[in-house]
Amino acid sequence: MTAPIVEAEHLQKTFALGFFRKKVRAVDDVSFTVEKNEIFGFLGPNGAGKTTTLKMLMGLIFPSRGQARIFGRPIAERAVKQRLGFLPENPYFYDYLSGAELLDLMGHLFGLGRAERRRRARTLLERVGLGRAGDLALRKYSKGMLQRLGIAQALINDPELIVLDEPMSGLDPIGRKEIRDLIVELKHEGKTVLFSTHILSDVELICDRVAIVVGGRMRDVGPLKKLLSPRLIDTELVVEKEGALAAVRLPPDADVDAALRDALAAGKKIVSVTPRKQSLEDLFVREVDSADVAGGAERVKLKARDGAKDKAS
Amino acid sequence: MSRIAALALNTFREAVRNKVLYILLLFAIVLLGLTYFFSQGALHEQLRVIRDVGLVGIEVVGALIAIFIGVNLVYKELDRKTVFALIPKPIRRWEFVLGKYLGMLVTLAVLVAIMAGTLFVVLWLGGSVFGGDNDNGTVFRAIVLVFGEVAVITAVAVLFSSFSSPILSGALTLGIFAVGHFTPELRELIAKVESTPLRAILRAGMRLFPDLHLFYVSGSMVGGQHVSIHGAYVDWPYVGMAGLYGALYCAAAIALAMIVFSRRDFV
Repeated sequence: MTAPIVEAEHLQKTFALGFFRKKVRAVDDVSFTVEKNEIFGFLGPNGAGKTTTLKMLMGLIFPSRGQARIFGRPIAERAVKQRLGFLPENPYFYDYLSGAELLDLMGHLFGLGRAERRRRARTLLERVGLGRAGDLALRKYSKGMLQRLGIAQALINDPELIVLDEPMSGLDPIGRKEIRDLIVELKHEGKTVLFSTHILSDVELICDRVAIVVGGRMRDVGPLKKLLSPRLIDTELVVEKEGALAAVRLPPDADVDAALRDALAAGKKIVSVTPRKQSLEDLFVREVDSADVAGGAERVKLKARDGAKDKAS
Repeated sequence: MSRIAALALNTFREAVRNKVLYILLLFAIVLLGLTYFFSQGALHEQLRVIRDVGLVGIEVVGALIAIFIGVNLVYKELDRKTVFALIPKPIRRWEFVLGKYLGMLVTLAVLVAIMAGTLFVVLWLGGSVFGGDNDNGTVFRAIVLVFGEVAVITAVAVLFSSFSSPILSGALTLGIFAVGHFTPELRELIAKVESTPLRAILRAGMRLFPDLHLFYVSGSMVGGQHVSIHGAYVDWPYVGMAGLYGALYCAAAIALAMIVFSRRDFV
């Protein structure tokens, strides 16, 4: 078995905010690995700590505790960065440059020669659908165009690992599909992709494994099939009588055949029968809810402790 | 080295595509042009007036531009989050700071050269004869010194902007510019302080400020000697000595900026 491409071990980040340096823990004990040639989805609601975790992996933020390794080495090493592509969240680039100039600059930082930089910039601009906008100043780019250019600059060095922070953000449905297809293409080219998102459908469609992070803590990690319960939740039966539709949810242990026979006998027309298993959305909502409950319980404990202290004083 | 050059080139490109810079440069060129007309009243001293006013103009506008780009170009990287895409590239954080600073120096060298060219044109219009050993050689050396001064100011601005806002960085750099200009006078004041420990502390504190007086040599007292742009005092050894001092000061300020930059989180 080959070594993991990304290893995050007990990552923790505490920020000191405001004048009184109030401590806020954004990420708490996050551990996961990303294996070679997989698409790994880093999933969580807004403010869950996804971007902070990715920034620690990319060397933009120093962890308060724990460590991260990429290709088995610390991120700060130039040899590691040479094999890495990164798209920041809501990417901002130099607006006085054109798309082609930005890719040329990024290629230069990877030590590519002029001819190679030009060739790659042209190919990548075509690949992300910006073939005609290469000479346009970035201040004239729309948010979606900047997102596409951000993906192009992340690929300028033909990286082995591509880390994308919210790559579908700001894109319309067509754009989102194109980026999903691109991520799958990258996997077929033998690359490893780690991306963060809060859009569940993107994860369900393309990820080999996912990690769910809520409130700065890791809630679940593993292959989607393992995380999602194969257990039947219910069966939805939709029938029609005299032009009116009616839906019935049958419990998992209900006799669906008998229910269908009864409906037909009552002169109803069967429109659809849909067995419903746990979806990623169900899992996600459950994790967020349980985190809220745990957070609530923690708050109750703290309140009780503070109350006891007040009494004691 | 190629990566630092790429960052420097990008910084130069950023500066020359900024309209504010052109406004400041245009202002300097108009100011230098006006010295020709101001000097008409000074019968036999026309060239001296052009030289002195012109050099002050280049120094003041150069310093303003140095503060403007030194404060803005680093802070903008953090404020606009462009640094997020750069740091994960195969560059070290100190290379990023050095690349930015070198790009600023190239920009300032071009701007000072344009202003110097304008001054020489005005001197020529005023009847100055070029070639041979004359005052124009001294003017050239004085302009080299002005460049040394703006390099120091830029390094100080980069240091401040690595940890504070542009307004605060600008104000602090302006303060250092002012203090740096009055170092001989401040040293004299400190010498009059009666308390020995306080005097020692103030003297040590003064060493932190750049001695910008070294770089502006027209009509001032330096080391008890009268220094004038007209005299032979501004020779190449003097320029070399001031340049060495400036280079060491810049290296120290930029090294500090690199340390600050290498330890900070990019949130």
